[in-house]
Amino acid sequence: MSVDFLYPGEGAAVDTGVPAIEMRGIDKRFPGVVALDNVDLTLEPGKIHALMGENGAGKSTLIKIMAGVYGKDAGTIRMRGRELDIRSPRDSLKEGIKVVFQEIALISEFTVAENIFLEGYPTGKGGSIDWKKIRADSAALFNRIGFNVDPAARTGSLPVSQQQMVEIARALAHEARVVVMDEPTSSLTPNEISLPFTVIRRLAALGIAVLYVSHKLDEVFEIADTVTVLRDGRHVSTRPIGEHTNDTLIQDMIGRRIESLFPRKRGAPGSKVALSVQGLSTAKKLKDVSFEANAGEVLGFFGLMGAGRTELAKAVVGFDPIISGTISVDGRHLMPHDTHTGVRLGIGLLTEDRKSEGLMGELPVYQNASLASLGAFARMGFIDKARERKAVQDYVDRFRIKTPSLFQQIKNLSGGNQQKVLISRWLMRGLKVIVVDEPTRGIDVGAKSEIFALIDRLAGEGLAVVMMTSEMPELLGLADRVAVMCEGRLTAIMSRDEATQEKILNAAIG
Amino acid sequence: MSELTQSSAPRRSVGGQLLGSSQLVLGIILAVLCIAISLAAPQFYSEANIIAILRQCALVLIVASGMTMLIITAEVDLSVGASLAFVGCIGMAVLNSTHSLALGMLAAFAFAGGVGLFNGLVVTRLKVNSLIATIGTMMMLQGGVYLFTREAVQNHHRLISFTDLGAGYIGAIPLPVVIAVVIFAIAAVTLRFTTLGRYLYAVGANERAVRLSGVRSERLKLFAFVVTGLCVGVAGMILSSLMNAGQPTAGRGFELTVIAAVILGGTSLLGGRGSLFGTLLGVLVLKVIDNGIIILGWNQDLQMVVPGVVIILATYLDIIRNRANVR
Repeated sequence: MSVDFLYPGEGAAVDTGVPAIEMRGIDKRFPGVVALDNVDLTLEPGKIHALMGENGAGKSTLIKIMAGVYGKDAGTIRMRGRELDIRSPRDSLKEGIKVVFQEIALISEFTVAENIFLEGYPTGKGGSIDWKKIRADSAALFNRIGFNVDPAARTGSLPVSQQQMVEIARALAHEARVVVMDEPTSSLTPNEISLPFTVIRRLAALGIAVLYVSHKLDEVFEIADTVTVLRDGRHVSTRPIGEHTNDTLIQDMIGRRIESLFPRKRGAPGSKVALSVQGLSTAKKLKDVSFEANAGEVLGFFGLMGAGRTELAKAVVGFDPIISGTISVDGRHLMPHDTHTGVRLGIGLLTEDRKSEGLMGELPVYQNASLASLGAFARMGFIDKARERKAVQDYVDRFRIKTPSLFQQIKNLSGGNQQKVLISRWLMRGLKVIVVDEPTRGIDVGAKSEIFALIDRLAGEGLAVVMMTSEMPELLGLADRVAVMCEGRLTAIMSRDEATQEKILNAAIG
Repeated sequence: MSELTQSSAPRRSVGGQLLGSSQLVLGIILAVLCIAISLAAPQFYSEANIIAILRQCALVLIVASGMTMLIITAEVDLSVGASLAFVGCIGMAVLNSTHSLALGMLAAFAFAGGVGLFNGLVVTRLKVNSLIATIGTMMMLQGGVYLFTREAVQNHHRLISFTDLGAGYIGAIPLPVVIAVVIFAIAAVTLRFTTLGRYLYAVGANERAVRLSGVRSERLKLFAFVVTGLCVGVAGMILSSLMNAGQPTAGRGFELTVIAAVILGGTSLLGGRGSLFGTLLGVLVLKVIDNGIIILGWNQDLQMVVPGVVIILATYLDIIRNRANVR
């Protein structure tokens, strides 16, 4: 491994017109499903190519084949004319293909420099590791992607966005010709997104072929040169981004037109206060937050990263402790301050972190749905499973939850369908106030509009919906009133009519 | 895995759930063991030997019933062996001084339940990892029992009903086996059919999700610890009846046998997954191996070695089977 290697963008010769990687006729079958069916993908050096599609379209299967995680059943992969035989992640890396997955593959207890040179530490006299060289080389690598991280920092202490940069620096240490970014922004907040973008452009300038996997339209329009869309394991289209509009991209992705991303069917919000929060403070973040939410209303909370939205959501439902303030649901105090009381009074949280706070991944769909309302299906402590499953089946039908059966482990469902199950969990229980935190995180366009429709319906049925979001369109599309937070404080509350992007951002900066 | 979403992934019927997982592998292992041993030593199938095996199983099964619940909640209790010995001594001492089986049993339950409660509180309130917490308790009990008595507490009360606890029969079935079956059945029904059982799985699968759903997850864990403790109370009294003494040295390594049986039965140490039926199979496999080694006249030290090999093998087979399902 060497850092002295030069990229075309740094003066080395450019193979113009020769694809960096060429995948032809890729097939991949899993038991009972064709994940990829005759898919082609060609990446040019120095270009940013977006790969789009809904969950289940085959994006991740395709990049896992590139990365050597899965073997392909048919098709060829060529690099500058030579056919590659990728059998393992190691082979893929050796050929100069680096895939940065959503789940960061770094050892969080190691320093940044140690992670970068994980595959082979440069050694000095007597085989001892040359730490000085490792630090210096790491710094040099960061320089080339136009970004600086302290090579001596413990990797786990860095924000996700910077950990991604460490992975990219690692790719350069391997002389990567192809860099694949798998939804790099999915765990970032709006003000962090600029970082991967800068670095991705820098990679392209070096002559590296970048594959940018995403289902976020605005990002793709901002950064990509070319877009390939997959649907149901098939190649739908590959076009320069200039030939696409929002509508044509969505149409390619979901195979139909969406009339409106934000269907509003509910009437005007009621005037009855369902949730009242007064002077709420927590030890770590929140300072004197007061607001009210009415029945039938969607109250949207906006804020930049670290503003305290998630903290507020968790404190309001009784999950995280508070140091002062009162919370009342339908006029009744949330005392003692815990989720047991919260749910009994009728307030619940739809978490932003489905995996660690929402789903019981190993358990079947129906058990996930009925978790909060199990008592309603029990007699003398015994569960009436027939009644339970029938109730869950009703929700599966009504919300069009796509699952092979009620017994399917929920971890195998797509993000959108998982979210619908979690919404069903609360509807089966019956709430007065639902706090939804980033309701469409990790959910693709087609399913997003369904989630929006569900939120609209919740408010239509008389619930007060408190929605935490970092997505401006979501906020303006759904909320009746907009609340803005900055560093743990509430800085503004405005009605939908007064709310403009500019006003909101001003309040968010403080 | 999102690609698999729209597929007709294998449906799991209720029966399939019961036999689907590692239990099939385990059932085959058990059958092979029984056939092999009885080919080599026909007396394996004698009525007397089968009764002996069942009696051997009873103590482990009683504690493993509670332990299965506990491990399903993603916690574990390593202090059950040490507690077992201590309970026997305390029970016997109380019997000696009161000549009342009821009071002796009560003392045993109070002590063993108290140990479970202590473990549970340390884990749920002080947030100490259960592995560490219960190793601590184990050491306290192992030392504490010698503070209580230097030598075995002998039977001075001669209560027939106490002797029956270990040596009695109901019909042709030893009383300890009947007790074990009852406890097993109650635990199995609880896990399978009640809200309580469902919540135990849920807490093991994702405690935060359970808490957000308004369920008091700490109480569920506390419950599982106390139930495990009470099971130790029952087992401890039976053991002291069988030995006709409270032995401070009894129960060494017992916790390992119990946990091994539970894990062998397919219950995940990560929580959320497992069944009592699997535990039953696990107990049977371990005890049939024990019995086989004795009947075949092999070196008795193999009684530890062979189960060790079996656990690794069974877990590995389970991994292979899971992998085959995914690919």
